[in-house]
Amino acid sequence: MSEVTVDPKAAKLRRDYPYTARLLCCRADPTGHYVVAGATDSTVQRWDVLTGERVPLVGHENWVRSVAFSPDGRLLYSGGYDGRMLCWDMLSGAVSPLRTVTAHRGWLRCLAVSTDGAWVASCGNDRLVKIWSAADGSLVREFSGHVDLPYSLQFVPGAGELVSGDIRGNVLHWRVADGEVLRSFDAGGMFSHVGDIAPFGGAIGLSFSPDRGRVTVSGLHKVSNAPAGNRRGVAMSFDWVTGEKLPLQECRQKELDATMWRAVYHPGGLMIGVLEKEIGFWHPGAEDVFHLLTTPDHIFDCDLHPSGTDLFTAHFDGHLRCWQLQG
Amino acid sequence: MSGFRYQPCGTIDHGIARRQFMGEFLTGGAVMAGTSLFSHPVGAGELVSRGRSMVVVYLNGGISQFESWDPKRDVETGGPFREISTTVPGVQISELLPRTAQQMHHMALIRSISTDLDDHGLANNLVRSGRTTRSATEYPELGAVVARGLERADFPLPGHITTMVGGAGGRANNAAYLGPSYASVGVGAEQGGIVNAQLPDGMTVAVDSRRHDWRRFVNSRHRSRVQSAEMDAYAQSYEQALRLMEKRDLFDISRESVAVQEAYGKSEFGRQLLLARRLVEQEVPFIEVQHAGWDFHHNNFEFHLHYVADFDGPFACFLGDLAERGLLERTLVIVMTEFGRTPGINAGYGRDHYPKAWSMAAAGCGIQHGAVIGATDAKGVEVTERKVDHRHLFHTWLRAVGIDSGGQFEIGGRKFPIADPAFGPIEELLS
Repeated sequence: MSEVTVDPKAAKLRRDYPYTARLLCCRADPTGHYVVAGATDSTVQRWDVLTGERVPLVGHENWVRSVAFSPDGRLLYSGGYDGRMLCWDMLSGAVSPLRTVTAHRGWLRCLAVSTDGAWVASCGNDRLVKIWSAADGSLVREFSGHVDLPYSLQFVPGAGELVSGDIRGNVLHWRVADGEVLRSFDAGGMFSHVGDIAPFGGAIGLSFSPDRGRVTVSGLHKVSNAPAGNRRGVAMSFDWVTGEKLPLQECRQKELDATMWRAVYHPGGLMIGVLEKEIGFWHPGAEDVFHLLTTPDHIFDCDLHPSGTDLFTAHFDGHLRCWQLQG
Repeated sequence: MSGFRYQPCGTIDHGIARRQFMGEFLTGGAVMAGTSLFSHPVGAGELVSRGRSMVVVYLNGGISQFESWDPKRDVETGGPFREISTTVPGVQISELLPRTAQQMHHMALIRSISTDLDDHGLANNLVRSGRTTRSATEYPELGAVVARGLERADFPLPGHITTMVGGAGGRANNAAYLGPSYASVGVGAEQGGIVNAQLPDGMTVAVDSRRHDWRRFVNSRHRSRVQSAEMDAYAQSYEQALRLMEKRDLFDISRESVAVQEAYGKSEFGRQLLLARRLVEQEVPFIEVQHAGWDFHHNNFEFHLHYVADFDGPFACFLGDLAERGLLERTLVIVMTEFGRTPGINAGYGRDHYPKAWSMAAAGCGIQHGAVIGATDAKGVEVTERKVDHRHLFHTWLRAVGIDSGGQFEIGGRKFPIADPAFGPIEELLS
C-alpha cells in the first residue's frame, strides 16, 4: 500500500454497491480490481470496483462470515456458518468454487492468509484454529488452545506466526511451524456474559499497526445490558514487543451502542474503526476519535482499498459502500 | 437463577421480586381484602387425577420459535441455524436441540400460538393465567389452579413449588382468589437441602416441639374467640414450614447418585430440573423451573447458541429420566414462554417481541405424543393453520392432567370458572 495522505474530515461517499441481503464481511482485492462481501443469503458478492458490475459467487450453504484474499489477489477464500472454506479463482472469473474444504464442525468464523500466501488459517465453533495449505487445501496443522470460541485471526506480518482471539478476550500468539503458544494477551476487559450461560464480546477483530509495533483487538466493553445491546465499541492494543497493554481507544464524543467489528490501520498511522453507523478515525495512539463519519446504516466490516485512498464498508442494509478518504 | 439479573425490557424480574415480596406480605393480607378463603372449606368437586404432576419449564423473556420449535430454512427471517430430524418421522426442530430431538416421541409441539400482548409482564400473566387481563392478580395462575385441582388433604408438601438454585423464597402472589395456600413457594436445589431448615445449635427436637405446642395452644385459644382467616393463614404458614423442615432431604439433590447428577449437569438449570424430578416422585402437583434471560433484542443467534445448549442437555435428560422411571405417564411437562421473537432480524442481529405467531412444546401425560398442532407460513410471520391462544392452552394443560377445565371453583359461596368459559382445549392435542 502506497503512502498517501488522507483527510477524514473531508471524506465522502464515492460509490454505493447495492445488494439485497445483509452483508457480514468484506475485503478489497490486493490488486485493487475487485471488492467482495459475504452475505446472509449464503453468497459471496464480487464487485468490479470501477464499473460496479456485481457477480454472485454461489457455493456456501449458510451465512458467509469471512473473506480473505491471497496476497497476489489471484485467490479468494470464503468461510461460512456451514463450516466450510471455499476457494475461488479470481483470475478466471469462475463463479463456482475452485476448492471446497469442510473446515470446522459448526460455524467457521474467521479466515486469514499468511503474508507469503502459503497458508490459510481458519477458526470455528469447534474451538479449533486450523492451518491449511493454500496450494492444495490440505490441513497443515491444528491448534486447540482456546477454551472458548475463537473469533478472530491475523498472521503476524513477515513471520511464520499467527494471533488468534476468542470470545473471552484471550489472544494467543502461535508459532505456526510447531503450534507452540509463544505468549498470550489478556483482553478480558472486552468480555462480558449473560448470566452464567452466554459469553459476549471478546476479541472480535485483530489487526497490526503498519510498523508492527502494536497488535490491536477490537470489540466492545462497558456492557450494561447485553441482550438489549447496551455496550460501547473499543479497541485495546498491546505493544507487540513488550506485551504492554496500551490506552484504550474508543469514541467518547458520542455515545454509541456499538461493537467495533474491525479496526484497520491506514499506512499513515491512523486507526479506522467501524462503530454502529459510524466510521471513527483515531490519530496514532489517541484515546478518542478525532472524527466520526456517519453512514446510512449499520456497519459490520471494513477494509481499505490497496491505494489507501478509499475505505469499503459492509452494511446491514445489504449495501457495500466505498468512502473516499481524501476529500 | 441468581445469575440472571438483567432486565432487557425492565419488567419481568422486577415483577417477580415484587410479587414475592407482596406474596409474603399477603400471606395474611389477601384475606383482609374480603375473600374469606380460609374460613370456608375448599370445594372438592374438582379433585381428580391424584398423583399427577405438572412441570412448567418457563423460559423467561421469550425464546425464539425460529431457533427452537419452528425453524425456517433459507428465508431471510430464518437465521443461520438449520433444522434437524427428531425421533418422530417428519417432525424437525432446530439443530440447537439435538438431545431434545431424541425425546420428541414423548413430546408435542404447538406452532400456531397467536396472542396480542408484547409486554413481558402482561404476556407473562396472559400465558400463566389463561385469561386476557391487564391485572396481575385477578385470576390465579396455572400453578395455583393445578395445586388446587390436584390437592390432597394429607399431602405434606406445598402443591405449588417454584424451584430456585439457592435459598428459599416466600410465597408469591399468584393464586388470586384461591388464596395464598395455593401460591407458589420457592425452594432451593442447592446441595444440603433447604437453607435454614435445621434447628439452631443447642435447640433439641423436644424443646422445639414444646415451642410449637405452645404456639398452637395460644393460637387455638385465641381462635376460639376470634374467627380470622388471616390468623389461619399465618398458622398454616407455620405448619407448612415445619413440614418442609421434616422433608428437607427431598430438596437435597446431592442425595442423588453422582451418575444422575452428572447426567443432569452442573448448570443451575440442570440442578433445578433434578430437584423437579425429585418433587415429581413425591407427586407434588405443580412445579415450575425457570430458565431466565431469553430476551435477545441483540445478538440473538450467538445468545441462542449458548442458551439453547444450556437448555437442551438437561431438559432432554429430565424427560428421559421421567420416562425411564415411569413418571412421565403421570406428569405433564410444558416448555412455556411469554411470546415469540420477530421474524425480522434487527440491525443488532437481534429479534424483538412477537406475539403474533409463536410456539410452545409439551411432553408427557394427557397429550398426543409426536403431535404438531398448527403451522406458520414459510417466513414464520403468520399462523396459517389452527390458530390458538393462551386460553386454549390453559384449558388444554388442565385437561391433560385430568382437571375439568370447564368446571368451577366454589369459594366463599361464589363460583369461579376454572378457565375462560368462552374457550376450550385443543382437543386434537389431548390423548
